Amino acid sequence: MSFFGFETKLPRDRDGSGSKGFFETSDPFADIARAHALEDDDVIDFEDTYDGLGDQLPDDQDEFNDDTFGAGGADTSVGRDFDFFGKTAQVSDVIGEEQVRYSLQNPNSARVAPQPAAPAVQPAASKTKRSGYEKYSDPGYIPDLQAKSSVWGVSQKKPEPVAAAPAASTASRKMMSLEEVEAQMRQQGHNTSTPAAEAFMRSMVDSQYPQPQHLQTLPDGFPPVPPEFLHAQIKQGHLPPGMPHPPPGMPELYGGPGPMPPGVPLHMMQNANLPPQSMPPAGPRHVGPPQAQRPQQPQLPHLPQQQQVPLPNRTSANGIPVITNPQQLRDLTEEQRNAYLVEDAKRAKRNHKIFLLSRGNGLMTPQDKNFITRIQLQQLVAAAGNVADSDPEAVLAEDFYYQVYSQIRGAPRQHPPPTPGPLRPDLSVSDGQQARADNHMQRMQQQVQRAVEAAKAKPKNKQLIIEGSLGKISFSNAKAPKPMLNIKRPDSSEGPKPKKQSDLSLSDRKSILTNLEGVYSSLMAMEDMERTMPPPPEEGDAEAIQVHMEWRQKLHSLNQKLWRSLKVMEPIVPNSTTPHPFIAFLSYPKGKKAIPRIFRHIDQEQRVTILTMIVVHLDSLDVVRLAQPVPGEAQPSLGVREAIDLFSLAVMPCLLGYVNEAPFNIIIGLLGLVINQTHVQTVARTKVGLGILTMLLSRAEIVKEAGQASEHDWQQWVQKFNILFDTLELGLNDIFPGTISSGDDMYVWQFLAAVGIGASPEQQQRLVIAVKDRVMETVSYSKTLPADMGSQRLSNVNLFMRAIGLDVELLG
Amino acid sequence: MADNEDTGGPSVSEPLDLVRLSLDEMVFVKLRGDRELKGRLHAYDSHCNLVLGDVEETIYVVEEDDNEEETVRTIKKQEEMLFVRGDSVVLISPQA
Repeated sequence: MSFFGFETKLPRDRDGSGSKGFFETSDPFADIARAHALEDDDVIDFEDTYDGLGDQLPDDQDEFNDDTFGAGGADTSVGRDFDFFGKTAQVSDVIGEEQVRYSLQNPNSARVAPQPAAPAVQPAASKTKRSGYEKYSDPGYIPDLQAKSSVWGVSQKKPEPVAAAPAASTASRKMMSLEEVEAQMRQQGHNTSTPAAEAFMRSMVDSQYPQPQHLQTLPDGFPPVPPEFLHAQIKQGHLPPGMPHPPPGMPELYGGPGPMPPGVPLHMMQNANLPPQSMPPAGPRHVGPPQAQRPQQPQLPHLPQQQQVPLPNRTSANGIPVITNPQQLRDLTEEQRNAYLVEDAKRAKRNHKIFLLSRGNGLMTPQDKNFITRIQLQQLVAAAGNVADSDPEAVLAEDFYYQVYSQIRGAPRQHPPPTPGPLRPDLSVSDGQQARADNHMQRMQQQVQRAVEAAKAKPKNKQLIIEGSLGKISFSNAKAPKPMLNIKRPDSSEGPKPKKQSDLSLSDRKSILTNLEGVYSSLMAMEDMERTMPPPPEEGDAEAIQVHMEWRQKLHSLNQKLWRSLKVMEPIVPNSTTPHPFIAFLSYPKGKKAIPRIFRHIDQEQRVTILTMIVVHLDSLDVVRLAQPVPGEAQPSLGVREAIDLFSLAVMPCLLGYVNEAPFNIIIGLLGLVINQTHVQTVARTKVGLGILTMLLSRAEIVKEAGQASEHDWQQWVQKFNILFDTLELGLNDIFPGTISSGDDMYVWQFLAAVGIGASPEQQQRLVIAVKDRVMETVSYSKTLPADMGSQRLSNVNLFMRAIGLDVELLG
Repeated sequence: MADNEDTGGPSVSEPLDLVRLSLDEMVFVKLRGDRELKGRLHAYDSHCNLVLGDVEETIYVVEEDDNEEETVRTIKKQEEMLFVRGDSVVLISPQA
């Protein structure tokens, strides 16, 4: 037994098995002797530590206890007039339920006689900081309890009739019978008060029931001792003047589940030489002064008393009285009892839910919460920077790649550039939530702004000149290091300029790469400009119009810069060995990749220029030039194939996008360029070349179908088409890539289909004759292939066959 | 070249601007510790930290046999993507 580290064991007991656990106690009466012996033992001299307050108590007024608290113990059911605690304490429902539940579990405990002197001890003693729901969640709750009590080395089960004879101490090592105990007690010369003794006896009778451990299961939430109670105690002289009134908040202070011994036996308080102030609030508050010298008060046996404290005014909603002890339950009718039990189960369920929810209660200290709040505020500020900040840099910094990607893909802008200014009164009511969020952010933003301004306002001294000192101390930091040298830069206009490369090096590798980087720089600048686009100006808003005009001006100059970097307008040198700068530009993968981005930023005229440029140089394009089939090789090298794929993926869609909207005369012009400027048969032998031709032919066909072509235009077209057809006819077999087994020839069939649609019946016949062999080969070859591949090849052929009104099925 | 001051194209004002020209191109990188890399330059920074794609790494190991004759052995590795810390870069050269 150790309380506050106080060794309470007698020397002769110390050689024992040490502190015993809750249920380990073999002899419930062992402590009687121990505690009694304590008085005689010279280890502790009570007189030395006791302030003698107890002597001032008028003993004779103890009789009034009965008047105050009801009949003393003889009556098993105390009755409702004994509602001192119930009236004064606003006990929560939860507590009541706990009591009921306990009563149901320990129905016999109710029979134990009450001890009038200290009815309030139990609630107080059980004022532990427990959530009170443990029982619901953990059926193995009692073992836990056990551990707790063993920590304190206190056996609550042991009633403490300190009246046991010293001689009994040795005898009490073994279990005593009731008679023996009684005899011992009678032997005692101590002036045991009758009711107390009676209560004790009664408790002895019932002691086979492990009554007391329930105390710890009682929930917290017992209110602090009501003032009335304290008054009553004072009136009775139970509260010594020297004893400070425990503050109502005390129980919370002792809140931890561990440190407070629930139901510490009072004898410990009494015997221990502790200053009253240092005791746990439960003990002294309700017991009054230490009364060790008059050990006639066996405090514990009355423990179950609390179960009988009726709690009036508590009736559940459906009229079933709230039951606080099993006797009440017994009195009810079967129906009522069932209803009550259902009710009880419901409450238990609810409480369990509450318990689950409250599991995390009190986990965080206020400091922790502050910390989290700070983090959240920071994030809010950052978020405010994202949405409400007029600085687009913040948006960009947040997710650069997403922004650029969505721009290139033309996805809708997630965050339209907000109107500048700290406040946005134009927010409509409909997006109220947004507005509210913005409000918070604006406030936050304003605060941050104020803070920043305040920081800025602080004079920034670059130097510190201490009065009287000879030198000065200059500050420097990593960002602004102390300038050691101060050299004036020559004006850029004066400085020697590396002369730009001559025309000769226009298409050398380095200048092309430089052009490429120039294009990308301009592209990025333009994409950046797009993000900072001011809102469309409203009518009459001169300032906004001005801003918008400036912005467009800038964008236009960037566009010009981009255009110049592209070198599209460089003069075409016929028969030159070096390719045109723009074609060279396109020969780099990054040049091809740039085209879709460029096309977004240029107007139609520039687009048609680019398309014209590509068509004119079709046979010098790397993807055409290098893709010429080499005898003996089935397909171009890996690098070239990659370039072709990239061109088909990046450049062709842009061109197609333009061609599909281009006026017919431009299509005619482009076809003329192909015929006149390029080596058509060379072009036709490549995928890209055929692709472009297909593009033009199919556009013309669409125009014709739609009836948009004027007669004159159509005549022109037919003329050009005939030239193309005649040129191609001889080499039609060469336009197929490699051998028949080399795979992808779909684009060829597509081209042939486009030619076939536009061809006259006579041309169609010639066409069929020209490719007949290939058709037959493919059809027979497809039969040797697996079904899906074979049908793929057949359907490719069918593209062409259908275009001229045939079908592979007809071929048998 | 026809362009003058205000035309596009980044003027070469520092050595790393030359490295920029090799972006997305195959480059040859010599590293400390007798290593060489060949790969496509995806990114670089002012510390010459590099990100390379489709890299072939060559390590030269000098071995001395019993007759004290030195033989150079090369180890080649192929990496899909490589981050090269700048402090080990000796030179970067376009691999035309």
